[in-house]
Amino acid sequence: MTADIFTVAWKEWLEFRDQLLRLKRGGLSALIVLLMLGIITPLQMGPLWLTSPLMLAYWPLLSSGMVSTLIADAFAGERERHTLETLLATRLSDTSILLGKVLAAILYGLLFTLANIIVGVITLTIRHFGEGIQTPSPSHVAYMLILVTLACSTLAGIGVFISLKAATVRQAQQTLGIIMMVLFIGPVLFIQFLDTEGRLSLAGRLTALGTGRLVGWASGILLGASVILIAMAMARFKRGKLSLD
Amino acid sequence: MSTLAIEADGLVRDFGAVRALDHLSLEVPAGIVFGFLGPNGAGKTTAIRTFLGLVEPNAGTARVLGFDTRRESDRIRERAGALLEHHGLYERLTAEQNLDFAGRVWRMSSGDRQARTRELLEQFGLWDRRREAAGKWSRGMKQKLAVARAVFHRPPLVFLDEPTAGLDPVASAALRDDLAALASGHGVTIFLTTHNLVEAERLCDLVGVIRRGRLAALGPPASLRAADSNIVRVTGTGLNDLMAGAALAVPGVLVANVVDGALEVELGEGVRTAPLIAWLVERGVEIDEVRRDRPSLEDAFLELVTDDGATGSASASVPR
Repeated sequence: MTADIFTVAWKEWLEFRDQLLRLKRGGLSALIVLLMLGIITPLQMGPLWLTSPLMLAYWPLLSSGMVSTLIADAFAGERERHTLETLLATRLSDTSILLGKVLAAILYGLLFTLANIIVGVITLTIRHFGEGIQTPSPSHVAYMLILVTLACSTLAGIGVFISLKAATVRQAQQTLGIIMMVLFIGPVLFIQFLDTEGRLSLAGRLTALGTGRLVGWASGILLGASVILIAMAMARFKRGKLSLD
Repeated sequence: MSTLAIEADGLVRDFGAVRALDHLSLEVPAGIVFGFLGPNGAGKTTAIRTFLGLVEPNAGTARVLGFDTRRESDRIRERAGALLEHHGLYERLTAEQNLDFAGRVWRMSSGDRQARTRELLEQFGLWDRRREAAGKWSRGMKQKLAVARAVFHRPPLVFLDEPTAGLDPVASAALRDDLAALASGHGVTIFLTTHNLVEAERLCDLVGVIRRGRLAALGPPASLRAADSNIVRVTGTGLNDLMAGAALAVPGVLVANVVDGALEVELGEGVRTAPLIAWLVERGVEIDEVRRDRPSLEDAFLELVTDDGATGSASASVPR
């Protein structure tokens, strides 16, 4: 089954790549985001952009945001372009089709993050010329990769779940946009409702936990969410129904 | 493998109040080109979906390549190729990439994938444009590529849902030749749905006619037609209403009329044409042409699928 999952991911990647290479089809927006976040933000923040623990929250949000632009297309796009039934008529199992699409989305999120970091490292190294190559610590990179992978897989789980049901890509994107807004703005609103004492208390507790433990907790939550969401998507994956849709 | 590629017994499939398959029973021998004919909404596509295990029947059973469509549909899909209602090509991918994906899905080795891609694209005349995105191609080229994809992994059974729909006559004829070559050269069973009766007549070894989800007739195309028509049309000089009236005296002539200057005669069952012609010549008629029409498959098809037609009346029909 692993080979089948990679086969689907390979096909998805070819389609993503085509989309990215064509400026009008989304490549331009990805390029703008890459340049803005890889050049402007590091210039504003300086070396903290690579080392601050706060950035460990930034990368998963950024990568999952990028994944959301593609994952909505997973099944709704295949349905819209009339390729879904042919895919379902192959020997590929339900699991390999679904996990292949999730894997492609995770890889896309990871690659986008890595491309961003490489651009940021180059930007900061040029900005601080003579101070050597600016790089994050290995533990920081490891935390970042774990969180980005899990955030992308959670978002991919939500995305395929919605995409399985949506009649069109636009409908899937709209639904996913609303869910992402709730997920991203929810924590901010929660903090806004806290008084100063509450905020200080929360900050104190989080600091006391330490970066490693915080990453551990966040990873556990994201992993649990991914597993549940992908299991829900698997349960929704009904070959007969999808074929008739 | 069973000598029957497909065995369906009493298949029923309902979509709400609509019965798409109504106790469909069918046997398709392996290694032939089978044509499944029927008007729009007759149940052709539902039948293919059911045989591929994409749709579960409400009642009845079907075995494809010896496997049960309900319990072993994954094994059927492992062995079958399909071109469904839509060509299903990834239009952003090149022709080569589309075929390579099919090869990867069926776990063909890299070398085999490359060789097969070349073989099929050359056979279909698409090799020179293999690196173009399929979305930029004409409908005929896409359809050929979709057929190539359906047979890429050398399946013993291929389902083709109206493969020549929307193609111009030249492209249709070319694709038909390609399909015939595939069937004869590789012993593949081809299950083909079509509206094109000429296509069915030229390509298929066996034809089934489906009407409202039921099998109305089954047999070789030639046997679905009546062997000979009883209508004889004679053109020439000296033919008039008086002559037509007198012709009724010829043994076996049931009806005789002059239509557009030609004499149209309906003969009794088994009556030969020669005595009538001899009788006309004796009366001074100068005959230019005598035509005894053989009804086409289209005539037989229309008779089977129209409300006035007697379903299952064709001589070779075996409706169950």
